[in-house]
Amino acid sequence: MRILVVGGGTGGTIVANNLARRLSAELRAGKVTLTMLSASDRHMYQPGLLYVAFGQMMPDALYRDQASLLEPSIEFHVDPVKHFMLDEQKVRTGSDRVFGYDVLVIATGSRMVPEEIPGLVEGSETFYSEAGAIKMYKALRNFQGGRIALVVGVPHKCPIAPVEATFSLHDFFKARGIRDQVEIKYHYPINRIHSIENVAKWAKPEFDRMEVAYETLFNLKEVDVANRIIRSEEDTEYAYDLLISIPAHRGMAVIEENQLGQAGWIPTDRHQLTMAGYDNVYVLGDTTNLPVSKTGSAAHFEAEVVAENIASIVKIGEPVREYDGKVYCFIEAGHDQATYAMFNYQNPPDLKPANKSMHWFKMSYNQLYWSSVRGLL
Amino acid sequence: MSSQTNLSDGPAGRIEENVGAADLRHLLELATLVTAARDAMSDDIVTRMSSAVNEGLILLDRVTRNPGLMRLLQALERSECQSLLEALADALTATSRELVSDPTGSGAGGGLLRLLRDPGTRDTLRLVCVLGGHLSRNLEAATKVSVSPGGSGAPL
Repeated sequence: MRILVVGGGTGGTIVANNLARRLSAELRAGKVTLTMLSASDRHMYQPGLLYVAFGQMMPDALYRDQASLLEPSIEFHVDPVKHFMLDEQKVRTGSDRVFGYDVLVIATGSRMVPEEIPGLVEGSETFYSEAGAIKMYKALRNFQGGRIALVVGVPHKCPIAPVEATFSLHDFFKARGIRDQVEIKYHYPINRIHSIENVAKWAKPEFDRMEVAYETLFNLKEVDVANRIIRSEEDTEYAYDLLISIPAHRGMAVIEENQLGQAGWIPTDRHQLTMAGYDNVYVLGDTTNLPVSKTGSAAHFEAEVVAENIASIVKIGEPVREYDGKVYCFIEAGHDQATYAMFNYQNPPDLKPANKSMHWFKMSYNQLYWSSVRGLL
Repeated sequence: MSSQTNLSDGPAGRIEENVGAADLRHLLELATLVTAARDAMSDDIVTRMSSAVNEGLILLDRVTRNPGLMRLLQALERSECQSLLEALADALTATSRELVSDPTGSGAGGGLLRLLRDPGTRDTLRLVCVLGGHLSRNLEAATKVSVSPGGSGAPL
């Protein structure tokens, strides 16, 4: 059986390593082949970008060589897929090579699209890329006081990030001794301060305590870069001195170009994680259109289900597990404290009070991530 | 009968009955220790410790899932290998010191002849030759198993 994994991010790497462990005998005997196609030879720990933006982590700590994270039995190529030929069970890559498969896993991730809002690219800082996070840190470091606006587009990767960034802003300027000279205003596109209701309930009193202003139902329409004003679809506006944005995301361009799903999100079975209409094509991580957070943890739990099912199909001909929508998010709450949100399709998160131990758990996980993607944790 | 509640009759009293004063003191000490450790920690310490744990886990995983390395470790654990390992470690130390003190060596052909006259060098050459002989025979045997029709067919 030929198993092909497209995408070397969190989901793709975990599913490939997990399969290599479960099917080690079959791989040694040549009954199964496991191939990964990725766009990059490096793997980035994306949640670390927020730390880079606040000077708490250096960019080089976010990377490992992708090949070093993979089991030796995985055939790895840096050769991104350009064309999916699902009916022929083939893909064509950027170097014009064709790879056939019996089982395909699509884990191509997502991308931010700030260019869809006029003025957002040139007018705002964002921490969703390495260069952006470094630039944002420098802007924050040079900021001597004034009005900071944080705007959020949806959907976006890591739904907790807007709240964490706000807490971090408060801490950053407090540590510099100029918090009283900085006005922080948080703008969110729906009618509460977070899409997850219990996170909104938990964060609101925290914002009040930190004297963070907020405006809900603020869907960014444009950034007037020259006059430093943001305007919403709801006809409100705010003048800022520094604009921080979390731009809306889409699935990867290759998914849209191959018409596999609207806005790059592939229609996916919520329990089996198979692509609609294709039982031998699995989708995981940000690439799905599932109503779960676009986080590494969702990709992790989905990858475990997909790997176990593919392995069981190889061994007994049937899948054995279903994904329950599990997501686990750390939430850095400022003051060196953190909490977490765990939820699934059936149960909303029940946030506990933040404490230091959870903050250290998160700091530890920043390191243990590398064991996690190798399939150890 | 008094209407006042006596605390020692309630749950606190029952705790006192079941937990001695010394036990409570130990619990208090433990709580103080945990608080002290917590106060002494920093993000940097947690990061370094976690990084070490992460690398340790990966190393452990690689070693334990590698049959060749496990076999080597088992062999090296045998008591007769200990003196060899200690000698190897000492030899590495002495060699590195010698190379530092005399980086150019003392002559090409003549120096080599002097080295060969050294009984220690001759013993080491014998050790290498014996090791090479065993390695060759084991490799030959392993190759036969892997290609024979009745063998497991597993790659070496």
